[in-house]
Amino acid sequence: MSRIHNVISKQENTAVFPLVCADHCAHLLNINFSEVARDGEKLAYVLTYGYRLYGYDMVLVFSDPYVEAQSLGCPVRLEPFPCLLGPKSDKRLDRTGEIIRAAEILKNTLDVPLFVSIKGPFSLASFLFGIGDFLKMLVRNDKEARYAIEQTTEFQKTYIERLLSLKVNIFIGDPVASTSVISPEMFAKFAYTPLKVLITMVRDKGLLSGIHICGETRPILHILDTLGTDILSIEDITPETRTLKMGGVSTGTILYGDTNKISEEVKSALSEPNLIVSTSCDVPVDTSPENIKTIIRIAREISGN
Amino acid sequence: MVFEELKRAIIDMDDKMCKQLVNEAIKSRIAPLDILNKGLIPGIKEVGELFARKEYYVPEVLLASETFYTGFNIVKPLIKSQGNVKKTKVVIGVVEGDIHDIGKNIVRVLTEASGYEVVDLGKDIPTKKLIDIVAKEKPDILALSSLMTTTMMRMKEIINILENKKLRNKIKVIIGGAPVNEAFAKKIKADGYGKDAVAAVRLIERLTSE
Repeated sequence: MSRIHNVISKQENTAVFPLVCADHCAHLLNINFSEVARDGEKLAYVLTYGYRLYGYDMVLVFSDPYVEAQSLGCPVRLEPFPCLLGPKSDKRLDRTGEIIRAAEILKNTLDVPLFVSIKGPFSLASFLFGIGDFLKMLVRNDKEARYAIEQTTEFQKTYIERLLSLKVNIFIGDPVASTSVISPEMFAKFAYTPLKVLITMVRDKGLLSGIHICGETRPILHILDTLGTDILSIEDITPETRTLKMGGVSTGTILYGDTNKISEEVKSALSEPNLIVSTSCDVPVDTSPENIKTIIRIAREISGN
Repeated sequence: MVFEELKRAIIDMDDKMCKQLVNEAIKSRIAPLDILNKGLIPGIKEVGELFARKEYYVPEVLLASETFYTGFNIVKPLIKSQGNVKKTKVVIGVVEGDIHDIGKNIVRVLTEASGYEVVDLGKDIPTKKLIDIVAKEKPDILALSSLMTTTMMRMKEIINILENKKLRNKIKVIIGGAPVNEAFAKKIKADGYGKDAVAAVRLIERLTSE
């Protein structure tokens, strides 16, 4: 069994995976990000490079947050970095096939737990309408908001089915569902059930799932803990949960921290008895590889693995 | 009485009621400046406090901001010449490559409601354009927002360019957004970090009173 599996089942205490994504790996290889985002083979290539360079305990297939939104008609600019340009239009560009292609290649070439990142139905619905308009809709027209979330849940169910047929694990990012944005009541009303549906699909196939929500999550942690997911990737890892947490090093520290600061945050994180040491959000593109290596080295030294 | 009702309309996110009350107040010859200072501004400030206390979240603040502007846009032309605006000028915008402007919009409304002159550049502002506007507008405060790890480094780039162009010592630069924090602000030599909209306005108040 992998270290990630062992940490989930509490046979080991610690694993490490700073949230290294395709943009950082492409940057290291001096490959234009937009090429990677449009090509599954290139995506697999840069992620393989990142894994071999750093040797962390899992790989996350994550190109950018807008893959599904673009498939549903949102205009997206990929140069120099991904940017959602507006709400849904008639022009669809499906890149899910490229993500699946990358997952397929990595599954066949790397012997490490592979997770594919998808968007939570709540956040995906917000991209389709424009985040501001969608948030207002939650108050003014909750029927329409619910309908939109039902539609994005159905879309993600189909996407997940395709991914699960490859026997890859799933990581669901739902940033707009953070309580930095919506109330715990709104999370329970709109975001919880779609996440539960998707996680149940993953569990039923005997695969692993993770949830990533950046920003404030403390007020909803008790609800997140009932989702049945295997991993909770969150900014504040101090509250106690039954679910394995992932995090501990702030984005600012990985970007600018020196060895002492990184070491301090990793040590503090490892006061948690069971943890995947990680960054609180994805690793910024031009993060020094030395800082990423430092997180991994210190986590391994302290945990003795 | 009308002032309390106006305040309530904003807290309740009731655009129609706000518009009606402002128009009635104007017809009743209540000074537009009083409508703003005693009704609309206390309303949106209370919304800011509710947000700080986690009783309101972003959806409610967005709707209440719209209600505030429903009234503000009626009285603004009537009071423009009365000198209500503080002399402090704030230029605000979301950096290039980032279209997440909700936080910036909330900071804008609370800053404007606090009486500052606000020049809102919008979102996804090309760095060169932003620098040109700063050079032209000569603001006291430049407030930058970024919500993504891919765009947060633009803030450092902007500060470096301001230094190179010898504009930096004339303005205070403050930053905000999900991936940044106080330590990041220090590292890129910004003058401050606002963890939310209320904190950002307090920061502007502190920096401009120094």
